[in-house]
Amino acid sequence: MDTFVNFFLGGFANGAVIALMALALVLVWRSSRVVNFAQVGQAMFTSFVGLTVVDLTGSWILGLVIAIAAGAVLGLIIHFLVMRPVRRADSSGAIIATFGVLIALQALAAMIWGGDPRAYPTPVSYSGITVFGRVIAITPYDIFVIVAMVILVLILTIVLTRTKLGLSMRASAFNPEVARLSGVRVSRMLAAGWIIAGMVGAVAGVLVAPTATLSPNSFDIFLVFAFTAAVIGGLDSLVGAVTFGIGTGLLLSLVTGYSDASNAALVALILLALNLWFKPEGAFNHHKARSV
Amino acid sequence: MPYVLPLTHPVLETVGVTVRLSGLTILDDVSIGVPRGSVTGLIGPNGAGKTTVFNVMTGFLAPDEGMVRYEGRRLKHVRTHRLTSMGIARTLQGVGLFPALTVEENVMLGGSSHVRSGIVADALAMPWADAGQRRLRERAREVMEEFGVLEDAQRRPSELPYPVQKRVALARALVSDPKVILLDEPAGGIDSGDMADLARIISSWVPQRTVLLVEHHMELVMNVCDLIWVLDAGKVIAGGSPELVRNDPAVIAAYLGEEDAH
Amino acid sequence: MRDLMLRAPGSRFAIHAAVTVAIWAVLTWLNGSIEPQLSYYLALAAMYATAMFGMTILVGLSGQVSLGNGALMAVGGYVFALTSMKWSTVPIIGVPWNAVWSMVFAGLGGVIAGVLIGALGARLRGPYLAGLTLGIAVGIPTIVNRFPALLGGDEGLKLIVPYPEGGYPEAISQQEAAEQVPADDAFLDEFLVEELPADSATSAPADSGDLLTPEEAVSGVESGDLLTPEEAVSGVPTDAPTDAATDTALVVDVPADGVDAAAAVGSDFVLQQWQASVAIAVACIVGFLAINLVSGRQGRVWQAVRDDPVAAAVVGIAPAGAKVSAFVVSSLFAALAGAVLAQILTFVGAGAFGLGLSLSLLVGVVLGGRMSLAGAAIGAVLLVWLPELVDTVSGDRGWPDQITNNAPNLLYGLLVVVVVLLAPGGIMGAVSGGWARVRPQRARETR
Repeated sequence: MDTFVNFFLGGFANGAVIALMALALVLVWRSSRVVNFAQVGQAMFTSFVGLTVVDLTGSWILGLVIAIAAGAVLGLIIHFLVMRPVRRADSSGAIIATFGVLIALQALAAMIWGGDPRAYPTPVSYSGITVFGRVIAITPYDIFVIVAMVILVLILTIVLTRTKLGLSMRASAFNPEVARLSGVRVSRMLAAGWIIAGMVGAVAGVLVAPTATLSPNSFDIFLVFAFTAAVIGGLDSLVGAVTFGIGTGLLLSLVTGYSDASNAALVALILLALNLWFKPEGAFNHHKARSV
Repeated sequence: MPYVLPLTHPVLETVGVTVRLSGLTILDDVSIGVPRGSVTGLIGPNGAGKTTVFNVMTGFLAPDEGMVRYEGRRLKHVRTHRLTSMGIARTLQGVGLFPALTVEENVMLGGSSHVRSGIVADALAMPWADAGQRRLRERAREVMEEFGVLEDAQRRPSELPYPVQKRVALARALVSDPKVILLDEPAGGIDSGDMADLARIISSWVPQRTVLLVEHHMELVMNVCDLIWVLDAGKVIAGGSPELVRNDPAVIAAYLGEEDAH
Repeated sequence: MRDLMLRAPGSRFAIHAAVTVAIWAVLTWLNGSIEPQLSYYLALAAMYATAMFGMTILVGLSGQVSLGNGALMAVGGYVFALTSMKWSTVPIIGVPWNAVWSMVFAGLGGVIAGVLIGALGARLRGPYLAGLTLGIAVGIPTIVNRFPALLGGDEGLKLIVPYPEGGYPEAISQQEAAEQVPADDAFLDEFLVEELPADSATSAPADSGDLLTPEEAVSGVESGDLLTPEEAVSGVPTDAPTDAATDTALVVDVPADGVDAAAAVGSDFVLQQWQASVAIAVACIVGFLAINLVSGRQGRVWQAVRDDPVAAAVVGIAPAGAKVSAFVVSSLFAALAGAVLAQILTFVGAGAFGLGLSLSLLVGVVLGGRMSLAGAAIGAVLLVWLPELVDTVSGDRGWPDQITNNAPNLLYGLLVVVVVLLAPGGIMGAVSGGWARVRPQRARETR
């Protein structure tokens, strides 16, 4: 029972990070109907930027801020230079382009920072808390991660549901023509989706970097986890992304705890495959599928 | 329904078909028949559910109630790609041609259900696979000639004027030598000269083939159809010969304010 | 040309067979007349081409962007390794085992895997399929850790290739492997084939055990992602085979009993040339099948389903069936390529078949031209040649390794984006100017 509780608690922090990554995927999907497979590449890159800042200044929080700013810029650049010019007609092209960006970002990061895994510092302790004389698997840093995730989700919720920007984004996501007619600058809203996703991804990267080492492709596996969570959550739903992100984290934590870490990818794959088997279009699809 | 209908041999019919989509009743107890060897029209204002009837008949959509009967037998779980082998061909709204393929390749694919060679024979370029394709190509060329598109055989659909594309689509539907042809708005986007051609072509198919036509264009419908069904808001409001339908008060009422009635 | 081919049944076979044999003859001549080191690159290019013919069909013609083909290559590689190591006679038939049987079984394994993945994948639209196959690329290779006794776990399996005179493949025990001089990649990069004979008795096939860096072994989450240090750097291990096989390049042929066999074979027909001849033969056979499929009815069916599944169904094509068949064909090709790669590396391991390999295949086929088989071949050459080009340039300019090692991937990534944006037909499309033909267009929106 003890171990179960430990694995369970440990899963929350992991889940929080997966949830944020999934959120980033969902934000881009909602704005431009593209699954951004480069998202973890962006998160990795901005984490390196953050790490550089931490190394230079010694300030963890400044590293986070700069990483978020870098995430926004990177999202904007990718949107304008790559995704916007991709012809809508070429649906394979958009997917392939995101992988191109992923490969390029990983190579660029390796060029700048080298390929060796680097340790990212934590703002608070990353060793188990002692409760009643026993060390449990949850650390102050885990709690920090969970709190950070909750705060970020709250901010996002407010921005997306209570501000003009958020409402415009939603309008242009669900009905671009109508939104355009009512004066929303739809193309700006697409860009906003990429920027916000880039920022959320950057936070996710900085939060996860201390728990996994940071190297140009050490986040690859999170792409699978986050995609799984986002798809199960419906790919269109922010609530779904958060819920199933945390759920995926918990499940994988139990899998890792009871068997071994290398099973996580396989379990995520099985989860994803089962979900897609029963809901091939994901839950998002409001339009009736053209079944042939 | 005010008319007694000559439905002695409906080759294709819907019986009490009802379709509901997200709370809306799209089709309500629709029973229409297509007599063998006739040109039957299905008309109605926009949104009446005409294309939905087609979609039910061709298996795109399963009805919530009712059934489709083809040659007297109930069609359960119609699989769209099986239709041509059963003798039913359908055109799509617009043209529905494959943009990456030439006109000839498009038309040849219309005979897909007649090709018996499998992927293995194809991978090994076995002579019988080629022979099947050669026969199909000869057949395609005949049909293309009939429709006056043979000279465009090696071009891509996007290089052709729209009316020619529509003729290619007709040729593709005809290449499988269907018993029943379902035409979804064949006159859409073509001018009166082409329309006359179209009427002539459709009339030339009967009585060897049976035609069901969904069409907005009244003139064409009145010219070529032997029997017309009128749908409004998912219900059959009239059915009969062109003269009867033309003068039916319910039909006139349904079309009042419907600018599109031409 | 097409007219000619349909004029007489069988002429398509004759023409394609003649072209294939001609290409095979040219490549074989080339293989015999170049340095063994270049033969090795030729082998790699032929292996990539084999897999990428399948990518042309899957990604290009049938429009299904898949990253799973690296994992499918693993299926082929492992089936080849296991069957050649464990079986001495063909089950049921009872005839003696040889490498051809292993290839056949590898292909069979690919077909089965293709049916399984295709049955799920054909139901999915673009981004879902890409995500699922991404999961496959990352998840499937971790299966080796579930069956360490059978599949060798992280260490992978070594195999001795059925090199002439060398007998049938057999396993080297891990212990023997451990005794052999562990090779240091950076060090070995300096060595080329000239150094071979002196080393051949002692240095062994690749130091597969070293594929896992300590850091990776420790960090839990990514242990599915076994990578060589170079791969960890680059993300796309296009150079991983290079490195691993630069090690094997040192070996003429070292069966367990060592020097005698090597001496018996002599050094005039070196391992690399033999490997290249296998790779070329397989690539030509696969290329022959691919050109038949692409030029025939099946090619049209795939394109029709890609561009408009509804219209395809209406004309009598089962869209799901067509999509699954594209998966099966491409997995067959991938598995055969994987079996060839196993023979080139004389080793199979999760690290050799990771996400990076899948991405390489995608990059290659996109750059070369995703709609044409010639594009796949061009892409295959590009995957092998670009790193060498960068290496040469960097050697002249004196760039640090960190730049040199990653420049090819940066180029790949950027080129992929440029190609998608400016020339969807890739190099082949740009050259032939015919990419208007192959642009997939938006399927009709109505209904």
